[in-house]
Amino acid sequence: MSEPADTQLVPPSSVVLVSGGSRGLGLAIVTDLLDAGVRVAAFARTITPELEKLAAEHPDRLHVGSVDVTDLRAAQSFVREVEQRLGPIDGIVNNAAMGQDSLHAHTAAGDIARIIETNLTAPLQLTRLVIRRMLAKGLRGRIVNITSICGQRGFPGLVAYSATKGGMDAATRSLARELGGRMLVNSVAPGFFASEMSAVLGPTQLDQIVRRTPTGHLTEPVEVTPVVRMLLREHTNINGQVIVVDGAAAI
Amino acid sequence: MHSLGCRLRRMNELSRAQIRDLMAQVLKNQDKELPADDAAQLREIGFRSLDFSELALRVEDETGEELNFDAPGLRRIATVGDVLDFLVELQHQ
Repeated sequence: MSEPADTQLVPPSSVVLVSGGSRGLGLAIVTDLLDAGVRVAAFARTITPELEKLAAEHPDRLHVGSVDVTDLRAAQSFVREVEQRLGPIDGIVNNAAMGQDSLHAHTAAGDIARIIETNLTAPLQLTRLVIRRMLAKGLRGRIVNITSICGQRGFPGLVAYSATKGGMDAATRSLARELGGRMLVNSVAPGFFASEMSAVLGPTQLDQIVRRTPTGHLTEPVEVTPVVRMLLREHTNINGQVIVVDGAAAI
Repeated sequence: MHSLGCRLRRMNELSRAQIRDLMAQVLKNQDKELPADDAAQLREIGFRSLDFSELALRVEDETGEELNFDAPGLRRIATVGDVLDFLVELQHQ
């Protein structure tokens, strides 16, 4: 089956699934998409008061659920719920991830497996689930994988984590090819945030990163959300790319 | 019990004609027409590999059985008849 190009455009996503949407960058993405008028389905292991508040403010446009991203069955029933309530999903943001703060030699074997399951296996399975539904309905859509500068540059204490992020960047490229223009697939790779997961690097390391960053500050979630929104909503020909948002720290 | 199980599974199976109807729907959604001739070339009617995925997923929807297959099998598929044969065959595996 040889492939003539599919020239139809991919429309902006109207119903977007966000994993790990209860705090940090995930919560910021959910908030930003709601502000842009998008219908959003957010899940996380634990629903925070912040996410609950958003759900109360946008009862018709935000559906939230308590789902562990590694529980494929629970994710499946959440997706069905979402489609009944908000309509067919045509956008996905793979954001849920677990961090790491341990030298590889001293990371328990089970912890390595858990990091890979949460950060690599689970988003690949969730993506498969959603694209199967989209393909079955003949829908076009957008996929955004939230990865990390760790996928491209080395940092101590983040070996397994880096492997998963580099893995998702690689999957992004192959998926963009495989989906033949029916879906736009990209990664957004932030630098270290001042909060949350970058607690894995000590204050000295973070200071060092700040000193080496031309823009002079660590990345904030609000600096990343417009890029995610653009990839989900704007008409661009960006596909199969990893967009780094780190103030040129890694350049 | 065993033979009943087999019978039920066969009842869920789609016939070649039923798969042909689904294939026509996939093409119709793109304002394309499925020719009556099984020898028609997929290239010419604009039926791509992702259209094949869409069709396979529609067959799954009808039968409730997941159809997973490796990519090399798809390379042999060039005509409408090849698509129908492949999917009929796949349901037996």
